[in-house]
Amino acid sequence: MKKRILAFVLAATMAVGMVGCGSKSADTAATTTEGGAATASASSDLNVMIETPVESLDPQQATDGTSFEVIADYTDGLMQMDSDGNPVNAIAESYEVSEDGLTYTFKLRQDAKWSNGTAVTAADFVFAWQRAVDPEVASEYSYMLSDIGQIVNAEAIIAGEKDKSELGVTAVDDYTLEVSLNVPVSYFLSLMYFPTFYPINEEFFTSCGDTFGTSPETTLSNGAFVLDSYEPAATAFHLTKNADYYDASRVQLSGLNYQVIQDSQTALMSYQNGDLDITLVNGDQVEQVSADPEFQTIGAGYLWYVSPNQKGVKELSNLNIRLALSNAINRDDVTSQLNDGSLPTYTAVPRDFSADFSADQEKFKSVCADDAEAAAKYWEEGLKELGTDSITLEMIVDDDDAPKKVATVLKSEWETTLPGLTVEIVTEPKKQRVQDMQEGNFELGLTRWGPDYDDPMTYLGMWVTDCANNYGLWTNSEYDSIIAECTTGDLCTELDARRTRLYDAEQIVMDEAVIFPIYTAANATLVKANVSGIDFHPVALNRVFKDTVKQ
Amino acid sequence: MKKYILKRVLTSIGTLLAIILVLFILMHLMPGSPFNDEKLSEDQRQVLYSKYGLDQPIVVQFGQYVVNMCKGDFGVSYNISKNTPISQLIQSRLPISIRIGFFAVLLGALVGLILGLIAALKKDTILDTICTIISVIGVSVPSYVFALGLSFTLGFKWKLFPMLYSTADELNSSVMPSIALSMFTMASIARFTRTEMIEVLGSEYMLLAESKGLSGRKLIFSHALRNALIPIITVLAPLIVDLMTGSLVVEKIFAIPGVGSLLVNAIQSNDYNVVIALSFIYSAMYIAIMLVVDILYGIIDPRIRLGKEGD
Amino acid sequence: MSDVATYIPTEDDFKLKNNTEELGLDSNFASQNFWKEVVIRFFNKRSAVIGLIMILLIIVFAIIGPGMNDYTYDGMIQEEKNLAPRVEWLSWLSFFNGSETMTTSVGDIQVNKYEEGGLTDTYYWFGSDIYGRDLWTRCWEGTRVSLIIAIAAALIDMIIGMSYGLISGFFGGKIDMVMQRILEICNGIPRLVIVTLLLLILKPGMLTIIFALLLTEWVGMSRIARAEMLKLKEQEFVLASRTLGAGSFFIIFKEVLPNIVGPVITQVMFSIPTAIFTEAFLSFVGLGIPVPKCSLGSLISDGYNSFTTHPYQIIPPIIIMALLMLSFNLLGDGLREAFDPKMKEM
Repeated sequence: MKKRILAFVLAATMAVGMVGCGSKSADTAATTTEGGAATASASSDLNVMIETPVESLDPQQATDGTSFEVIADYTDGLMQMDSDGNPVNAIAESYEVSEDGLTYTFKLRQDAKWSNGTAVTAADFVFAWQRAVDPEVASEYSYMLSDIGQIVNAEAIIAGEKDKSELGVTAVDDYTLEVSLNVPVSYFLSLMYFPTFYPINEEFFTSCGDTFGTSPETTLSNGAFVLDSYEPAATAFHLTKNADYYDASRVQLSGLNYQVIQDSQTALMSYQNGDLDITLVNGDQVEQVSADPEFQTIGAGYLWYVSPNQKGVKELSNLNIRLALSNAINRDDVTSQLNDGSLPTYTAVPRDFSADFSADQEKFKSVCADDAEAAAKYWEEGLKELGTDSITLEMIVDDDDAPKKVATVLKSEWETTLPGLTVEIVTEPKKQRVQDMQEGNFELGLTRWGPDYDDPMTYLGMWVTDCANNYGLWTNSEYDSIIAECTTGDLCTELDARRTRLYDAEQIVMDEAVIFPIYTAANATLVKANVSGIDFHPVALNRVFKDTVKQ
Repeated sequence: MKKYILKRVLTSIGTLLAIILVLFILMHLMPGSPFNDEKLSEDQRQVLYSKYGLDQPIVVQFGQYVVNMCKGDFGVSYNISKNTPISQLIQSRLPISIRIGFFAVLLGALVGLILGLIAALKKDTILDTICTIISVIGVSVPSYVFALGLSFTLGFKWKLFPMLYSTADELNSSVMPSIALSMFTMASIARFTRTEMIEVLGSEYMLLAESKGLSGRKLIFSHALRNALIPIITVLAPLIVDLMTGSLVVEKIFAIPGVGSLLVNAIQSNDYNVVIALSFIYSAMYIAIMLVVDILYGIIDPRIRLGKEGD
Repeated sequence: MSDVATYIPTEDDFKLKNNTEELGLDSNFASQNFWKEVVIRFFNKRSAVIGLIMILLIIVFAIIGPGMNDYTYDGMIQEEKNLAPRVEWLSWLSFFNGSETMTTSVGDIQVNKYEEGGLTDTYYWFGSDIYGRDLWTRCWEGTRVSLIIAIAAALIDMIIGMSYGLISGFFGGKIDMVMQRILEICNGIPRLVIVTLLLLILKPGMLTIIFALLLTEWVGMSRIARAEMLKLKEQEFVLASRTLGAGSFFIIFKEVLPNIVGPVITQVMFSIPTAIFTEAFLSFVGLGIPVPKCSLGSLISDGYNSFTTHPYQIIPPIIIMALLMLSFNLLGDGLREAFDPKMKEM
């Protein structure tokens, strides 16, 4: 009898469980089917693979490449990128720069509409930019307005010393936006396509409350596409062509179908199955596709380098030891290990960047080359100066695929070329690694830097004294003065002279082996043969689909 | 009985609170913070800490969290999906994980039961060894290799099932993940069924039943299996919780929007609220299921005196 | 009746006799008999013996394997990456002649990188990995690491889990209540969370991994020990010992413990493969043994990335792992049946 009761209870529990699951899943189905991954294919929707989910659709909060790409799919800023990465008009119809280079006046086009029908006005930009510097918002990219954009009062507002309404940007009328700068900024226009500078409609933003950017209903589009299915951290979401886009005739795709795939082999198989039109390929799978005409490698702009902690580690404060470490690396071996088209790099500014600033990779070959002999010589010298014959160093590395590969090769090459050296690799999650480096709690650190704007300063600005990203805590007054001269000093407007001085600065970094540059990252990519017109850029927006055609 | 259940429910709530506290402490021991980004300055970090109340003493944070939790507010995500309420983040993901987990439990338990039964009835024969090997293989190959193998053969080569999870075709796209997930359950259940069945078959009341003239099928199903099932439920219970709260591996390979990958991403990016909320759900499910099992146990087996457990 | 003198008890009658030697003889005889029977029962079960032999064989290879050729586990040769397995005397087998069929998006191609690279005298028995390291050496090196981790974790968790379970079960009441709640708390937190947090807090390495595995494994062991204790403590021999004045810990560890050796050893045999497996999962999540050292788990997760490109890289570690799991399970089954007298009746 008792057992029968048990059987009944069990059956009942199971039934309840099933009903529970059933109804729950039915709910989800109802809310998410519109955006399902499989809804696409037949039409000319482009099926795009991304590696990580979107972190934020708030243009002033977003920081990662995926979020930027998606925000830019449905939002236009003042400027957009042409296929070569130069800024061209978007919401701005025309612009004027004052003679002293301190005031930019943008005339906005009058046919640009938000997807709820209201016009895109200068006030939308003012609202968004003020958000970006608002200490309460604590936007990670606020320095784009202060240090980099040099907009009047931005710095004081971020520091909480002034009210955000005092920011040097004003809506003269609905369609005129005036920006005042502290000093002339040669690349200011190229900042305008960076999502931090994208407009937000204040009324709409307020009506969303805290939910802004968490669903299709709480986003507004003024760009080429409209978000029509999305959930926070969704693994699949969809955008449709915006029929009301002011430049709608330019957009050929009927929509974009994003699919997050974290596993590279699943991604490749899905691509081969026809579920994807564009996908990234991990180096381990490149051999399978390298003969394929659809395969290409695209520069990603990131510079990967090793940062030695000069202040905290006695051995690394020795220049010869640093030079030995930098020269003992065979960078070709590293990139062939990655096998994704990454390029060996011997300069502090990555390759194929900012009007090919680093075209001459042999410029610093006397201090940075794949030269085992020179390395051994430096090493011997360094050991003598330190009065020791063996050194053990620890290198912290992100626990991702590429950094681990790089670290494995580096360890092996360092230990074979430099007798008496032992390198221990410690893998950490990225947040932890960044914290350790910021706090100076490391010996060697493998890190990367992606460009924020199209100027070598995005790299060279990092190694000035007291910069938070100067992990090695290196300091050099001559270097500091060159950088100051080029950011806020006399050279702001004289572009050629500025470039020469930047090379001088780079020379100091390389001579002192402040960092050991290793490679400029690239993405091994597959794009279906019937798809054309995807713009790839190393800066800000990595992929733009406005001109993309899928036959 | 009622008193006992009440008491157990109360202690369970206490346990849950203790778990949250432990998680809080662990989270704070964790190196790094949610805001350790290359491009965030020290000042901005401080602003963010105070914005989210992370600069307060842990006891205050804990108290605040519990109070908010009682109101159904689990806080917001810091990284995975910035400023999104956790409830919104989990809402659509949990049912997917639960459903796939449920299929996996069902499949695993069923196949495991059959394998275990065969092995027990044909003990020490070739059939027994084969069943053992099949069930052990299920746990010898890591699930990510198994899942990728499935995806490669059934999905890529033969195109039987979609390789990517799709909310538009939930049934078909749940098949491969469920199979991949069920392997561990299958193996555990098969092994346990075998042991229990052998024990039951050797017991005196089976001998009695046999001597009464009961035959084959009736004997096995209505006498032996039923008694063997009871301990199996205790093994199954925690497995159910494990499976229903998602699996990183399977979610990653089949691109499933479940909670397992969310948890791992959250841990790695120090997204405290997401980790605590997901762990809380896990713990609550675990404790609830264990409670139910205990109570059921008391109903079936009067020898287990509920009032004075462990005495 | 009347002629029996009235016995007057002396003080000595109520003392523990302390005749360990005599008792020793007695128990020795009994246990010899028991163990002999266990051994006989064990060796009668063919599958268990096969399991034992396989484990021993794998252990032997884990010891001598890495030294069987000239390669080291971390020596990379840039020119010799991704070479398929090639064994001199097995080259008539297509799997071992150094050629591989690669599935590319423009069709399958047959390549032999040894011949292409002019490596006439080079033999990688299990092939080489993406860094140009010998997989044979790495596999056995990895097996060694995995076995050390698993066995250490299993033994320590046996000691901790067993003591915890025995104490909790023996004392019962409030103590048991509190101890079981603590256990519930430990068990209620998802393992993944505990393990990853732990690995983040402590420096990654073998000891940390052992510690992490320990934390999640001891619960099962303590459950078994507690259940056995609850069963045994009501029995007469415990009562007898208690009447003779034995202390609690004497009863727990000297009287009850020897009686639960069977289930405990069996549980250890099952927790070793679980530990190996959990370590493999940790490697996949990126929390495994630090590079360039390797374990079976890290080899599998490395090979996983090349699964569709160079499948031969994942096959050897998978097979070794599967064999280990199978063998330990067979051995565990055999031991359980050998130890459990109930099985004898079957």
